[in-house]
Amino acid sequence: MVLIGENLNIMSKTIGPALKERNPKPIQELAKAEAEAGVDYLDLNIGPARKAGDELMEWVVKTVQGVTDKSLSLDTTNPVAMEAGLKVHKDRALINSISLARMDEELPLAKKYNAEMVGLLWGREGMPRDAAERGVIAVELMYKANELGIPNEDIWFDPIVTPVVNIESNQAKPCLEFMSMLQDIAPGCKSTVGLSNVSNGAPTHLRPYLNRTYMIMLMKYGLYSAIVDAFDPELVRIARGERPELVDLVERVMDGEKPDPSSLSEEETKYVKTVRVITGETLYSHSWLEV
Amino acid sequence: MVFEIPKTAYSGKIREVKLGSGEKAVTVGGETCYPLYLFEGEMPNLPKIAMEVWDMPPQDWAEAALEPFAGVTDDPVAWAKKCVEDYGAEMICLQLVSTDPNGLDRGADEAAEVVKKVADAIDVPLIVWGTANHEKDTEVLRKVCEVCRGKNLIIGPVEEGDHKRIGAAAIGYHHTVIASTPIDINLAKQLNILLGNLGVPDELIITDPTTSCIGYGIEYCYSVMERMRMAGLTQQDEKLQFPLICNISKEAWKTKEVHIPMEEDPKLGDAKKRGILLEAMSAMVLILAGGDVMIMRHPEAIKLVREVIAELTAS
Repeated sequence: MVLIGENLNIMSKTIGPALKERNPKPIQELAKAEAEAGVDYLDLNIGPARKAGDELMEWVVKTVQGVTDKSLSLDTTNPVAMEAGLKVHKDRALINSISLARMDEELPLAKKYNAEMVGLLWGREGMPRDAAERGVIAVELMYKANELGIPNEDIWFDPIVTPVVNIESNQAKPCLEFMSMLQDIAPGCKSTVGLSNVSNGAPTHLRPYLNRTYMIMLMKYGLYSAIVDAFDPELVRIARGERPELVDLVERVMDGEKPDPSSLSEEETKYVKTVRVITGETLYSHSWLEV
Repeated sequence: MVFEIPKTAYSGKIREVKLGSGEKAVTVGGETCYPLYLFEGEMPNLPKIAMEVWDMPPQDWAEAALEPFAGVTDDPVAWAKKCVEDYGAEMICLQLVSTDPNGLDRGADEAAEVVKKVADAIDVPLIVWGTANHEKDTEVLRKVCEVCRGKNLIIGPVEEGDHKRIGAAAIGYHHTVIASTPIDINLAKQLNILLGNLGVPDELIITDPTTSCIGYGIEYCYSVMERMRMAGLTQQDEKLQFPLICNISKEAWKTKEVHIPMEEDPKLGDAKKRGILLEAMSAMVLILAGGDVMIMRHPEAIKLVREVIAELTAS
């Protein structure tokens, strides 16, 4: 599993102002801490960056690469800012992200700068409703990228994870299903997810259970990478293959096994309950671990 | 091959909750199938209607709604008795409108005294509905619980923000609580869990999913209630197996469509008929979604709903 740290984000209370004031210290400290926590890439989310986004992205790429040799995932919806970042990035950057709406102007950037890219599966009519709609969007993006000479190996599809808290829009299962069919429809393509979105809206101290469990579930179907909270050490351990018994338990529950509750530790029980909430077998409530 | 009609696989049952006490106590819930799916399961207790009484004379009611209660709207006791004796109400819902901090702001002691008088004057179950202001409801409903001990009232709305203090009083004086959440199934489940953690017994809980009327988002209420029934009946979700109560009349009768006189907009038709139909049809939609108790206002709207229920359940 390739991990991309999500923490350098304009929404953060320390990073937002630091970006605005061009204050390198908090940004570099966080970048170093993320790298030490063991992630492989660092996501730089500067938001839409409508004003002077190019100058901001150039500055933040240089600032972060000044203190770490990790590759960066450049996360903005502003193509001018994206290009400015790609220009100064050492080695290969990851473009986060390109969707159908802006592929004509952004796919050439991936080619020109030999960057990897996240293909965001956001449809022309908004959020895809099932795995099949995700597949259709993926194929269209892939063909267009291939035409420009971008190989499948450089495309990381993001099926768009939604919060489990909201029953109306819960897409946890379609994302799993998409992951299971990805290699058939787009051989060689990679995958990634904005993992923490699955727990958006849940009580902060319980979010890691949803994040870790869902990551294990996606890994079962070959998830290649995830954008994650770099400071959840247990999640990093799971991704590194250091919790095989936990992974095994989650997979067994996904396969329909109903482990005897008395045979499970308190910790294991939490993972079992979380699988059931994510699949929709149990309806989510903030106290899902208690009932 | 013989065609077989597909049948829903039910694994759960809605809890039976007894409201009130004595001979006129009313039991609701107990369904083992989707609402009125009598070809798939049982509905031992048909939906019940509680008639609405205000604790102060209404200022903004449409003429059509006031007409059946002429002469009693300034006396909640007389009003409640009229509903029971003249209109055959199976339950009364006393709306404590006078306690609204943004209105008359009547104090807890005085409000509780009125509740006690009404409770003493009728033998059918009494629902007591506050103003959804957490601080004021805590004060008022706690007092009501105390003053009316032994009456087995049904009190609400009890929301996440005031569930501990009102819930504790309900446990102490043995009243049923109305667990109320803003049209959200996850929050509804959560509040039921919290009430359980507090020690409120399951047989003293009834769920208010929050309702609105036709033309004002009733589809959304319908979906949430329908989903609650699916979770309770087919997914064994014990925290979503409570009967549902819908405070619908005030929603229907506050719409602008009910208040426009026919002279102003002739194509809307007769104003009286319009209000009655809006209330009756909204209630019927909510019953089809799984509502067990409807709080209603107009005797003719109630009559219509009772007729439809009778027709849909005739064997």
